[in-house]
Amino acid sequence: MRCLGLEGVSFWYPATQRPALRDVSLDVATGEVVSLVGSVGAGASTLLLVAAGLAPRVTSGRLEGTVNRTERGGIVLPTPWTQTSGMAFTVWDEVAFGPANLGWPLQEIERRVELALGRLEIDALADRDPVTLSGGELQRVIIAGILAMDPGLLLLDEPTAELDPAGARAVWRLIRELAAEGKAVLLATSDLDAIPEVADRVVWLEDGTVRAAGQAALLGDDAVCGAGLGATVAGVWRAAGLPSPYPLTVAEAARRGGRGV
Amino acid sequence: MTRPHPFTLLAIAAALPAFAWILDAPAGAAATSAIALALTLTAGIDPRTSPGLRPGLGASAGWRRGLVVFRTAILTAAPFWLFLLILHDVATTVAIGLRITTMVASFVWVAAAVEPPRLVEALVASRWSASVAYVFASTLSALPQLSERARRIVDAQRCRGLSVRGGIAARLRALRSVALPLVLSALHEVDDRALALETRGLGPGVRRTSLNPPPDSSLERVLRWGLLVACVALLARKVFS
Repeated sequence: MRCLGLEGVSFWYPATQRPALRDVSLDVATGEVVSLVGSVGAGASTLLLVAAGLAPRVTSGRLEGTVNRTERGGIVLPTPWTQTSGMAFTVWDEVAFGPANLGWPLQEIERRVELALGRLEIDALADRDPVTLSGGELQRVIIAGILAMDPGLLLLDEPTAELDPAGARAVWRLIRELAAEGKAVLLATSDLDAIPEVADRVVWLEDGTVRAAGQAALLGDDAVCGAGLGATVAGVWRAAGLPSPYPLTVAEAARRGGRGV
Repeated sequence: MTRPHPFTLLAIAAALPAFAWILDAPAGAAATSAIALALTLTAGIDPRTSPGLRPGLGASAGWRRGLVVFRTAILTAAPFWLFLLILHDVATTVAIGLRITTMVASFVWVAAAVEPPRLVEALVASRWSASVAYVFASTLSALPQLSERARRIVDAQRCRGLSVRGGIAARLRALRSVALPLVLSALHEVDDRALALETRGLGPGVRRTSLNPPPDSSLERVLRWGLLVACVALLARKVFS
């Protein structure tokens, strides 16, 4: 079932002539993880804001095309320190901020908060003051705050930017679990090596338009690697002058190497 | 020690300036300004209202913060006295100056003493819209947040060779290097925070669930109504006498 649909979407930020998005069409289905890749300024963050319904409603600007959502969306922005409520004494309060704004009964809020804290493995931080957290801890708290609101559509902008490798792996695993539970996930990440394990589909954005879309194998495409957006293994394979499509993982490269490419 | 309800703190902060203007000067205004300035000294006693202070630091840190709040009130009120002295005679300067000092000290005290999260909880428990409560509480927390941001910017600029010492010209140059980043970063963060709050359900007309409403004793309610009644009674006496 389609959870998010963008058809012919173009978006202009206020006081700009050049669109940040141009004629973008994209679907995300329930239980699917779609990853946006692109260079800085390609439009991935803007696309997430449009998908969340925040652009142009909060950002201002002009939108053309149609955006359809069948589920409530929750977006995680890339700077966790600007996403705290500023109204919480503890991490528990911070995670509960969103559910409380939804007007849920207190018992339901408590259940959702405990669940979200557990899923992000931050139960031990529950009584900490959010201002004392590290960037990585805060990033997990912000993700937990969105998860606690139980959105059907998750929009994640660089969700692992502040995390250490172990923390990033935990978040990627969690995203797959959430998709298996029926959440639709649209994410933008520069952690290209994680995408093959996490994403069902990849959308390559360039200068505000969709340049290509397809399975994760797209990250082994010669053009994608040429734009610096391929997986590390694919880049090495390409630099070695081996034939495309390039492998995305070490395991795949080893298999193909064993077969004499 | 039970912390006073945020509404009680706001009521005291509103009543003191009202008394200062209603009561005869200079005695009435001297009394209210003395009370307001004394309150500023108590602003740091509860560590939960003191950003950067932790409970383990003990009471002396709290009193030191109280002195900072007291000094802020005095330094903010001082320029008003200077202007008044230029414009009026000594008696008028004292009369109006004490009243303005009461207003300034009350505001500085309440901004330091009221915990914005508790205020939001109290407002939400009183069935205010969450977004209105948030705006109200954000106003109170703006000053300390800007002050903290300015400190970080000064530190960052010092790393780049900025000197905040020296004569007036050097200090003005330093101020320029701090003010612009302060304003621009604050504006940028406002945009980001608006997006974040919106996605976390804080929109117009939201009826938020109160997570932990601060206790409001009948004694405090009586105190607040008493302050209101006293203000009205004193005002009526002043008008009709």
